[in-house]
Amino acid sequence: MLCVTGLPLVFHDEIGDWLDDDPPYAALPAETPMANLDRMVDTARQRHPDQSIWYVYVDDDEPRVVVGMLPSLDADRALARYLKFDARTGEVLKEIEPQATRPLTFNDVMLRLHRDLFTDLPGGLFLGAMGLLFLVATISGIVLYAPFVGRQRFGDVRRTRSPRIKWLDLHNLLGVTTLAWVLVVGVTGVVNELAQPLFLIWQRTDVQALVRPYSGLVPPRRDELSPVQQAYDTVKRTLPGMTVTSVVFPGGRLGSAHHYLVWTKGSQALTSRLFSPVLLDARTGKVTMVVDMPWYLRALEVSRPLHFGDYGGMPLKIIWALLDLATIMVLGSGLYLWLSRRRSPIEARLAELQAAE
Amino acid sequence: MSPFRRIWLWPLLLAGWTIFGLIAALLGEGGVWWILSWLALSSPLATIAICLARSRRD
Repeated sequence: MLCVTGLPLVFHDEIGDWLDDDPPYAALPAETPMANLDRMVDTARQRHPDQSIWYVYVDDDEPRVVVGMLPSLDADRALARYLKFDARTGEVLKEIEPQATRPLTFNDVMLRLHRDLFTDLPGGLFLGAMGLLFLVATISGIVLYAPFVGRQRFGDVRRTRSPRIKWLDLHNLLGVTTLAWVLVVGVTGVVNELAQPLFLIWQRTDVQALVRPYSGLVPPRRDELSPVQQAYDTVKRTLPGMTVTSVVFPGGRLGSAHHYLVWTKGSQALTSRLFSPVLLDARTGKVTMVVDMPWYLRALEVSRPLHFGDYGGMPLKIIWALLDLATIMVLGSGLYLWLSRRRSPIEARLAELQAAE
Repeated sequence: MSPFRRIWLWPLLLAGWTIFGLIAALLGEGGVWWILSWLALSSPLATIAICLARSRRD
């Protein structure tokens, strides 16, 4: 199931672009500066006065700004609604209704099946455990490989014999050649399922410690917040060379009630996967601190591209899909071999194989 | 050839190539590293194709 839903997810972005019916961006010269972020936030507030602004996301790939809103900042993410803006004109391009109430897209369904079976944390942990079992099965396959290939030449598929032997040979060939890729994608997949608990641990330990000096103070009201654009510009100035990806408003599940949490990333192949958060005092707009991410969140960030295969252009995605297909065949043939197994001890089957040579 | 080498030589070579390919595109800045990565990560697929073609011929 994970391999099958993972296959279209390799092409998640392409399928999304192909299926979406979003209005196009305005045709403007490449150097057109970005519109003011506070104006976009104001537009979002006017359209949805009952919602709280959750974050402002600034894409570095397309001229796109997304403002995320929640009914309240501790509400379920499935209730979040989004406004998509053209980053240069500041015009609204699209209203995205909450996932809980809009019809799910093809990508939504595949992603939820692959990540959490529509049940958020419990489903995620369950699939993480399934991923661990998948790794155990792969390792048991490595252990069984040597006795089962016996004295055969590497990669031989004996087609003349019984279908069982043919499928055994195919299982061995496909399994052993794709082994390293399967282990890497399996391990990084399990790590990805731990994202939510890992971020919670970080919030409860490091972030809590950082904002302790503010405990007892009254969090800023909405009208006391410093401008978002100012926070964005300040971080850009403080960390030249980093790209600012989003500004999270104070009071959410992640971050602090007194701070803007601004996410930045590097600009090189690897560093663009490593995010550094900056805390800014939400009243004054001054930088409180550039936060060092703990090792477990760094590991999570590095494991994302290695699981998604989205870091080496379209050829890498195609290779990813083909390796996934090979893995599906390994699982299918393994299931066939197990279902059609003869009720004899493994030593007897090995002796039979050896006699057949 | 020792039994260990006979059985594990190819799988270990392919695993080495795979790991190299995975890391090349992650650490390298596009260009030639991407191409090396595509070549290295294609090696398991090429091996499968060659082995299947060989056993059909035999």
